[in-house]
Amino acid sequence: MNETATDPVDHRLISEFKAGSMEAMEKIVERYEDRIFTFGLKMCGHLQDAEDIAQETFLNAFKYLKDFREETKLKNWLFKIATTACIRKRRKKKCEPDQEISLESFVPQNGDDVKYEIPDWSDDPSDNMLRSELKDVIDDAIQSLSHKYRLVFNLRDIEGFSTQEAADILGISTQSVKTRLHRARLFLREKISMSYKEGAIQ
Amino acid sequence: MREDCKKDFERLSEYLDGELDDDVCREIERHFRHCPECRECVATMKKTIQLCKAVANEKIPSDARERLMSMLRQCFSRNHTE
Repeated sequence: MNETATDPVDHRLISEFKAGSMEAMEKIVERYEDRIFTFGLKMCGHLQDAEDIAQETFLNAFKYLKDFREETKLKNWLFKIATTACIRKRRKKKCEPDQEISLESFVPQNGDDVKYEIPDWSDDPSDNMLRSELKDVIDDAIQSLSHKYRLVFNLRDIEGFSTQEAADILGISTQSVKTRLHRARLFLREKISMSYKEGAIQ
Repeated sequence: MREDCKKDFERLSEYLDGELDDDVCREIERHFRHCPECRECVATMKKTIQLCKAVANEKIPSDARERLMSMLRQCFSRNHTE
């Protein structure tokens, strides 16, 4: 169980919601809608799917919020619901089983001369073209990760959950989170670096 | 495959995330001194994460947001008038 309880603003909003405030419900949505939507988009790759994930997440959240005992942060609880929604959506689409990523292929070999080049992200808005090309490459790379690795990568590196928090959200061991995260990062590093070399990013 | 690489290579993410004990970190740093590949792996992996994070600030489109809010308001009203 997580030691950290939900934060003070969420705590107040949850109490107001339980007392019948619709405004409190709207404020909770405003606080998390972009994060949940981004997570849905990164997991499913389509705007419509991301919208479905957001709807299912908040609908279920408010259905059960009266029983939420705040033993964990509201954000973690919402992501747990969103994760279940993503897994359910994937099952409905009858996707292929997850491909395992083997570590062996990434370990440097004797006489290896593979150079990994990862481009820099430009903070200059006038680099719009470059930024949009790069964003496409990154989004494609994340989409090509198998589902179970993508879940861990999004929770840990995109949403910033700790190893323990990600393990709690996914209901897996911390060791599994670490193993999957490492493989996901190596996979993405290779994929992005290859696109860069092949000129998909100028 | 280099045997000495394999052991440390498996732990490079944990090293990057600061999840290893000090003595293991020192062991890995000793390995870095004679292994440019593992050293570079940590650096490029770090850059990969930063890059992925930089493009992950999506906003829910306003029409999708409207649909979400109106659906939730309807549910709320239904539950509070029953």
